[in-house]
Amino acid sequence: MAWSTVGCCDVGWIGQAFPELPLTCPAIHSVAPCLPLHFFDHPDTKLLLSMSRSDDPVESVDPAEPIIPVTSDPAVKVPLAIEDWLAVSVIAILALITFVNVLVRYFTDQSFAWTEEISVFLLIVLTMAGGSSAFVRNNHIRIEAVADKGSPARQRRLALISHTVVLLFFMLLTVLSARLVMDQYLYEETSPAIGVPAWWYSIWLPVMAAAIALRSLGTLRRLLQGKAQ
Amino acid sequence: MIATLLFVVFAILMVIGVPVCVSLGVAGTLAIVLANQDVAWFGLLAVPQNFYAGLAKYPLLAIPMFVLVGSIFDRSGVARRLVDLAIAIVGRGPGMLPLIAIAVAMFLGGISGSGPACAAAVGAVMITAMSRAGYPGPFSASVVAAGAATDILIPPSIAFIIYSILVPGASVPALFAAGMVPGILAGFALIVPAVWLSRKHKLGALEAHLPRPPFWASLREALWGLAAPVLILGGMRMGWFTPTEAAVVAVFYGLFVGMFIHRTIKFRDLFIILREAAELSAVIMMVVALAGIFAWALSTLSIIDPLTHAIVNSGLGEWGVLALLILLLMTMGMFLDGISIFLIFVPLLMPIADAYGWDPVWFGVILTLKVALGQFTPPLAVNLMVSCRIARVPMESTVPWVLWLLGAMFLVLIAVLVFPQLALWLPHALGY
Repeated sequence: MAWSTVGCCDVGWIGQAFPELPLTCPAIHSVAPCLPLHFFDHPDTKLLLSMSRSDDPVESVDPAEPIIPVTSDPAVKVPLAIEDWLAVSVIAILALITFVNVLVRYFTDQSFAWTEEISVFLLIVLTMAGGSSAFVRNNHIRIEAVADKGSPARQRRLALISHTVVLLFFMLLTVLSARLVMDQYLYEETSPAIGVPAWWYSIWLPVMAAAIALRSLGTLRRLLQGKAQ
Repeated sequence: MIATLLFVVFAILMVIGVPVCVSLGVAGTLAIVLANQDVAWFGLLAVPQNFYAGLAKYPLLAIPMFVLVGSIFDRSGVARRLVDLAIAIVGRGPGMLPLIAIAVAMFLGGISGSGPACAAAVGAVMITAMSRAGYPGPFSASVVAAGAATDILIPPSIAFIIYSILVPGASVPALFAAGMVPGILAGFALIVPAVWLSRKHKLGALEAHLPRPPFWASLREALWGLAAPVLILGGMRMGWFTPTEAAVVAVFYGLFVGMFIHRTIKFRDLFIILREAAELSAVIMMVVALAGIFAWALSTLSIIDPLTHAIVNSGLGEWGVLALLILLLMTMGMFLDGISIFLIFVPLLMPIADAYGWDPVWFGVILTLKVALGQFTPPLAVNLMVSCRIARVPMESTVPWVLWLLGAMFLVLIAVLVFPQLALWLPHALGY
């Protein structure tokens, strides 16, 4: 069954019944050279295809090979693992909270209304953390048709403009949301369900908007240094 | 004036490659500044307020959860077992593998809520099987991409969740029920040209003589997958859980099946699955949040009412306007993804729909059908990107095949336009 441990390829029972058939899948070991590159940069494509898909529990000695080689992360100075771990923990906690809520409601006829407030807050953290790493990995939805065509110099120029726009926007969002948090702090607003100070939640917005701004600054730095080399 | 600027800035930023979400945010912010030049801080505090308000909605929680369901079922080994069962039932005769690809994609549509996730799951199994059987890669890629497009119509569906957040008059259960019949119709409509094309061009004759897998054994293997939509849709119908909770139940069910029954997901895969799902949901929700700023700016400029008035009184008539809307959305769909289309255009289009008294649920199904078509209309076709990448063919090569499938699904769109009951009958019958 060596051909199914090559891994990623789901040959199904057909393969198991006819091991003599050449069932390797050349398609998935290299990136198709014939497609324009921007097709691969769509977030859905990239995220969904970089997953490993080993479907043979018995003999997978090797770690599951990704169906298409995972694109390596840009050379960041501050590890992306920060955002990744934050986003992964938050989405896991969100799933757990909601699941426990279903169970509790069935077994005790009660529901935790307050979890809703926590979930909404975590949703915002998830968006900012995942959004930040998506900016670094260039996974956000964008039109590549113009920006990623033409001469390298033009691509670089457009990338510089584009990342500067992102940087400026998130700098503005940092300042404005900090102002919002200040108001909430000064007027001692409290959250509707639990009654804790509202700024406990909203303080994360300027903090993480600043993080995204710093990430765009890092991307700009890499772009500018790329020219120097 | 400012309204024109809003759209022009948005379009320019997007074309030069700024992410759609940031383009929306910047255009909205600029419009707010220009409209409030004599107010302290130029009214800019509305920016973080709308960003926060756009995200702080409990129903949005359904998005990361359904994205997670997609990532998990993608690797749970369910697709392969469903395909085996389907081969055991219909065999491998001419045109049967494309039929199976579409049928399995429809079935997975009852579990996951996003087209590309479905295309990845079905494509990974079917495209190699189809190429072994002698179907050309572009054909297989087209069939898988088109079949996966039914995913956002067949409940559960992320598209319907977003529409329901934008249009309070259309509840998620009603939309889910309304998508069922058009989704199944679309699937059947796709099967016709898929089978006809493979017979006409004598495709896939290579493995027709191979024996079928044993039926009962395949059924037993596929049982865990077969039970998933029953659990999700049945549970929602019985009122056991809300759509968000249904997604979370599906997450744990999928993890259980993938880790302990089919053993295709290992513990170390969990981090990757969660990371991909978290990042993809963040990408979607960032658009939702920043589109909130855009929509708010648009609403304060008070151009929607005069625009609606002008369109309604343009003398085109109801059908003319509807045709124009479809045309507009088709064009936009070539450049924008479905979520952005919903977030930008639904606030603009709802007043028109109200003016004509169109049912918001029916209108949502029409828009979603349009987005489903867009998912496999080149050049910006998320499903085709996924399936072409698996089949290793350039997207251009799919055009001769995919046009037939697009045509078939477009007929379903026309049918739902002409007979709204196709969408509305089921939600009425279920009492939503």
